[in-house]
Amino acid sequence: MLYKKKWPLLIFVVPSLIFMLLFLYIPFIENIKNSLYDMTTIVELPGTKWRFIGLENYKKLLTDTDLRIAILNSFKMMVLTVIFEVGIAFVLAVMVSQIKKLQQVFRTVYFFPIVISATAIGLLFKLFYNYNGGMLNQILESLGKDPVNWLQPSTAFIMICIPTLWSYVGFYFVIILTGLSDISDDIYEAAAIDGCSKFKQVFYITLPMIKPVLMTSVTLAVTGALKVFDLPWVIAPNGAPQGITHFLGTYMYQTSFALNNYDYGSVLALIIVIFGVIVSKGVGFITESREEKEERRRKKHVQRRKA
Amino acid sequence: MKNKVLSVLLVAAMAASLLAGCGNNDGKKDTSGDSKTPSTESNAGNDDKSGDDNQEASANPVTLKTVSMFGGTDPNAEVYQAINEEFMEANSHVTIEDNSQTSDEDWKASVATSFSAGNEPDVIQYFTDATADAIVATGKFVTLDEIRAEYPEYAQDTLDSSLEAITNTDGVQRAVPTTGFWEGLFCNKDLFDQYNLELPTDWASLTTAIETFKENGIIPIACSLNNVPHYWIEFMMLYAAGEEEYTSIPETAPEGWVKGLETFKTLRDMGAFPEDTDTVDDAYVGQLFRDKKAAMQLEGSWYAGQIEDTDNTVVIAFPGLDGQKAKAGAMIGGITSGFYITKKAWDDPDKREAAVKFVEAHTCKSAVQRYWEITGAISKAAVEVDSIDGMTPMALSAMQYTNAASSVSSPTDGRLGSAAYSSLVSNIVKISVGSMSAEDAINEALEIYRNGASASEAATE
Repeated sequence: MLYKKKWPLLIFVVPSLIFMLLFLYIPFIENIKNSLYDMTTIVELPGTKWRFIGLENYKKLLTDTDLRIAILNSFKMMVLTVIFEVGIAFVLAVMVSQIKKLQQVFRTVYFFPIVISATAIGLLFKLFYNYNGGMLNQILESLGKDPVNWLQPSTAFIMICIPTLWSYVGFYFVIILTGLSDISDDIYEAAAIDGCSKFKQVFYITLPMIKPVLMTSVTLAVTGALKVFDLPWVIAPNGAPQGITHFLGTYMYQTSFALNNYDYGSVLALIIVIFGVIVSKGVGFITESREEKEERRRKKHVQRRKA
Repeated sequence: MKNKVLSVLLVAAMAASLLAGCGNNDGKKDTSGDSKTPSTESNAGNDDKSGDDNQEASANPVTLKTVSMFGGTDPNAEVYQAINEEFMEANSHVTIEDNSQTSDEDWKASVATSFSAGNEPDVIQYFTDATADAIVATGKFVTLDEIRAEYPEYAQDTLDSSLEAITNTDGVQRAVPTTGFWEGLFCNKDLFDQYNLELPTDWASLTTAIETFKENGIIPIACSLNNVPHYWIEFMMLYAAGEEEYTSIPETAPEGWVKGLETFKTLRDMGAFPEDTDTVDDAYVGQLFRDKKAAMQLEGSWYAGQIEDTDNTVVIAFPGLDGQKAKAGAMIGGITSGFYITKKAWDDPDKREAAVKFVEAHTCKSAVQRYWEITGAISKAAVEVDSIDGMTPMALSAMQYTNAASSVSSPTDGRLGSAAYSSLVSNIVKISVGSMSAEDAINEALEIYRNGASASEAATE
């Protein structure tokens, strides 16, 4: 045992626990309770009493077409996040780790987009995409071409994904770079002596050794993609155009605060949490190492034997 | 030993910093530190100042918490703050803690939260139509009759018709108005002259104008269907359905309403709206209009303050629809906001006097004259205002329009309430591309209205 007396632990842990209880867990339970009522205002005002509607909101989930679009878009975003955010971050990290001289400069440059507020990036890209006088259309017009409506239904999703993915590459870049620095150079030297090319080194040495770091990044990326809100909302609020770019996060915000349908918004928030849990458990399951898989199976076997 | 003491001190400091955010409020239900409700500093101020001796009632220092919708870049905000300063100079024992914001859905939610947490302001300038129903139902506002029993000259400058207009949906008058609004079609006359077009007076001339502008690369109508299609909703429903059907609350979607909203698709197919109307917001299309890239914009009297080119911009009546049922020149407008005094202020004898004087300072003839003038002298004033010399062509056209209005109807959101109306607004884009029928959208909104109405009935039983 690390500490003989446990009470110092309690002093440090209890305040945060109280804080989380008050501001996270209790509101979460309240949220589930609220979803069973028809909320007319955001809090129950003294003169009104909310009508109890039971599972009506949950039934509505099954018939809501906008929700289906939102779930589909969120899953698409998850896949794109893993491939592009984590993927590009990995490639950049590997390349930057090979550089000796300007490594610090590149680290700063690639990390910088995270520091900029997502709302600012969203507004910036919105100005780029403007049909009348946006930067992209100005470039097109100066080349003599017709202006393009970048946020038309066929291209809107991609146009929204580009800044969303771009802004967070730096985050995973830094995480993976740190993980890479943990791999000792001896292994690379040994491989080089054995005639392993740089490219094969990445596959056979780097990837396996930073697997835990990559898996953490993938889990973070996937759960982040599920909740993404600020950038899509600023560029295309209310699922514009024509309800095509709904994401779970923006759809929940629209339902609660634009449409004042707070109870249904509470249900959507709950759905996001449930999806988040399922997805992160799923990622953990898919990516667990062979040893962990065998450990899990062994434990199940032992439990079955006991029962 | 030293380390332990140090670490315990640090933990205590951290715990204390967590509690610093709590003020006099009921704690948990309060929104976060940077909330839009009156800050905790004003609570501390209250504790210091008004808890003192009550010897001379008139000289007791009073802190008045006020909230209004005159915030941001609203020209009214200038007048509001100026009147506040003058009031504090004239009444040196009163300190005004003001927390005004431009109204939007987030702000309305924060007002509701403050009322439910017992943190409401002393005086609030708020809506008087169905938007305010939930807050009126808390019973925290003092009625006009109650105030006049003590102060018979309260709101004496306000016109009777204006007071009638701000009656809450339960039939009781509580607020005192300053100005009302009207809605009309703003036109860039110079663009019309450039292409030899007459200002539209009926559906045919409107379609001619739209086609001509489209051919010449001018956006005919500046409107963001995704953000603020409200005014087109109102006028098209009014003209297609006629005044009586428009102002009713039907059981199912009436033919007039459906026909009105279907015109969104007609106009969109004609190319009347901007190419990116699905994704841009109202501020953007407003800029297009002011930059003379768009020819027409349906807006309200508040918009006049933002027009820079007042020589070449005019306001005219809505041209009309094919087979319209409303009279030509029918107008949408009304008075839907005013200053309320809350029971919190009324029950405190020091604050009562200050609050009454405060409202009178903002709603007397001279104050309303200032509010009326700062927004271009073209909104509807709640008192009898003196006309001013040298009115701009825009103001003159607006005056002609409002004086010649054949009928005045108040907009639908005041009757249906915000939940039902915002559902309708959110479906306009789908109606305009034909992926949802106008009938379904209206029925959806009406159902939300009925659910809300039955909820409040259940509450009063």
